[in-house]
Amino acid sequence: MSIRLAHISKSFGPIRVLKDIDLEFPEREFITLVGPSGCGKTTLLRILAGLETASSGAIYHGERKVSDLAPGKRDVAMVFQSYALYPHMNVFRNIAYGLKVRGTPKEEAARRVLEVAKVLEIEHLLERKPRQLSGGQRQRVALGRAMVRKPWLFLMDEPLSNLDAKLRVTMRSELKRFHLRLETTTVYVTHDQLEAMTMSDKIAVMDGGEVQQYGTPEEVYNRPANIFVAGFIGSPPMNFLAGAAVAEGALSLDCGGSRGRIGRSPLAGDASRGVLLGVRPQDVGVHASAQADCIEGGIEMIQLVGSEKLVDLAYGRGGQLTAQVKADARLGVGQRVWIGFDAARLHLFDPASGRNLAPAG
Amino acid sequence: MSGLEFVRRTVAYTVLLLVTFLVCFPLLWALSTSLKPAKDVMSTPPRLVPREMTLENYRNLITGKQQYYRADQSYVPSTAAPQHFTSWFANSVIVSLGSTLISIVISTLAAYSITRFRYWGRRIIPYFSLLGYMIPSIILVFPMFLVMTELSLTNSLWSLTFGYVSITLPFCMWLLWAFFRGIPIELEESAMIDGAGRLRVFVDIVLPSALPGIIAAAIFSLIVSWNDFLFARVFINSIENLPLTVGVMHFFEGTHVDWGLMMASAVLMTLPMAVLFMLMQRHLVAGFGAGAVKG
Repeated sequence: MSIRLAHISKSFGPIRVLKDIDLEFPEREFITLVGPSGCGKTTLLRILAGLETASSGAIYHGERKVSDLAPGKRDVAMVFQSYALYPHMNVFRNIAYGLKVRGTPKEEAARRVLEVAKVLEIEHLLERKPRQLSGGQRQRVALGRAMVRKPWLFLMDEPLSNLDAKLRVTMRSELKRFHLRLETTTVYVTHDQLEAMTMSDKIAVMDGGEVQQYGTPEEVYNRPANIFVAGFIGSPPMNFLAGAAVAEGALSLDCGGSRGRIGRSPLAGDASRGVLLGVRPQDVGVHASAQADCIEGGIEMIQLVGSEKLVDLAYGRGGQLTAQVKADARLGVGQRVWIGFDAARLHLFDPASGRNLAPAG
Repeated sequence: MSGLEFVRRTVAYTVLLLVTFLVCFPLLWALSTSLKPAKDVMSTPPRLVPREMTLENYRNLITGKQQYYRADQSYVPSTAAPQHFTSWFANSVIVSLGSTLISIVISTLAAYSITRFRYWGRRIIPYFSLLGYMIPSIILVFPMFLVMTELSLTNSLWSLTFGYVSITLPFCMWLLWAFFRGIPIELEESAMIDGAGRLRVFVDIVLPSALPGIIAAAIFSLIVSWNDFLFARVFINSIENLPLTVGVMHFFEGTHVDWGLMMASAVLMTLPMAVLFMLMQRHLVAGFGAGAVKG
C-alpha cells in the first residue's frame, strides 16, 4: 500500500510551516525526509502519524483517506528522537504495551516480545527499566516496541541523533538491515544528509516548508534541482563559484582582472550568460604545473581526514574553494597550484533563481 | 583537620544541636509527660526523663476509660472526653483521607487538562485558583458555614471533607500542573500511536509518571486536613463528630486539666503524620522540586 500526501499544508497561526506538499511513497521503500532544522520535516512526519492535523490537503494509505483517523487507528509505529520509553515500565512491558492495548492475549504477546528481543539482541535487558539502559540499548527497545506490532508503516524521527558518532554508524546499517528484513514502508526524518544518502531508497529534501527535490540518492546527488539541494547533499559540501560565465560554448571563471577558461559549457546553444558554478570538492583537480583549462591559485590550508585531504584553495581576487585529494598527494600550504575541473561533473545554476541549468552526469 | 576547621565544625554542630533541641523540646516534653503517672506530672523539679514510666494515659485514651484526678490525690470525675478519643481519631482519619482522595482526583484531572488541552483561560486558572489563599481562613469560614447550612451538612463529616477540599485543591492543582509540564508529551503520543485512548494514556502513562508529585500533593492535603482546627470548630457542634484537633480541647474543661491524658493525645495525634512524613519525605522533596529543573 503506497502513501500519498496530497497538497498538504500546515500553519501554526500566521506561520506557514508546510506549503503544498505533494509526495508519494511507494510500498516497502525507505523514504527519508531530510533538511535543516525548521524546514517542516518533523511536522510532516507527525501529520503522517496523526499527531498533528494538516491545515489543508489529505493523506491516503492506498486508496483510503486517513487524514481524520486517530493515531491508534492508522496502524503505524513511531520511533521518537527521545525514544519515549515509558519510565515506570521495564523493557518487556514497554515493548508489550502496544499489544496489551490492542487486546493481544498474554501468551501471544509474550511470545512476540521475546521474538523481537531476540532479533534485536536485547533479551538480557527485558527486566531492566529505561534509566538502566545505555543510549544504544534504549534505541533498540524503541525499535522493538515499534516492530512488535508489525505495522505496515514505520515512522522514525531522528532516532540516531542522540547517539555518539561511532554508534550512529553502527545503528545506521542495523536499521537498514531491519528494513530489508521486515520490508515495511519506512519514513525517516533526519537533518544528516549522510544518513539520508546511505539508508534511503528515496530522499525528499526539504527547506522552508517545501520539498526542494524528491528522488533517489543518486538523483539528488548527481542532479540536484537547485542550489539548496546541491549545497545540502554531499560531504564535504559543494563549492559555489561566483563570476562564472558561458559564452560561445565555453565556460570561464572570473580570476580577478581576467577570465580563465575552465572547459566547454554543458549548456545547449551559444547563448551568453552569467552562471553560478557548482563543483564538488572531489571533482576539483589540483596540479603542480600548468594545465589546459586550469586557473592559477594557491593553497591556504590542508586538512587530513583519513584517506583524503581537504585542500582550501584561493584564486583570483578573493575566490575560494575546497578540493578533496588523495592523502598521499604532495601538497603544501602556500604552494602555487593549477586548479582544474571535471567538466562532466560541473553544475551550472541560475544566479537569480538558484535553479540547476545543466545537471551533471 | 586544621585547628580553625575544628573550631568551625564544633561551633556549627553545637548550634545545630541547640536548635534541634529547642525545636524538638516541646515534642519531647509532651512524650515525657504522657509517660508519667498523674502524681509526677507537676512534680518539682521537673524531669524530662520520667522517674517512673507508665502507659496508663494511653490505655485510658484508647479504651475510653474514665479518668479521675483530684489535686489532693483523691479523685473527681473529669469530663467525658476520654471516652470519645477513638471516635475523634477515626473522624480525623476519615475526613483527612476523604478530602485527600477527592482533592487528588480533581486536581490531577484539572492539572492534566490545563497542561495538555487548549481552551480559553487555561493559563490563568492556576493563578486564579490561588487567590483564595490570600484571604484569611477566618474570613472564609463563615460564608462557608452558611453554604454548609444551606446544604444541611453542618455537624457532619461531609462539611469538613468538602471544606478541606476547598483549601487543598488549589495548591494540589498548582503542584501537579508544574509536575505534568515536566512529563514529555512524547510519552503520551507514543501511547496514542500504540492505540491507547486519552483516558487510558492518562491512567497508564501520565499518572505513574507523575507519582512523586501526586504523593507530594497527597501528603500536603493529608497534613492540612489532619491539622485543621478552625473549620472543625465552626462546622461541628456535637462531641462525637469532632476530629482530634478540636476534641482534645475538651481536656481543658472541668476543674482540672489532665496533662498526662492531654499529652498522650498530642503524641497520638502527631504520630501518624510524623511517620507518614518520614516515610514519604523523599517524594515530598521531589514533588515540591518538580519543574525547577528541565526534564
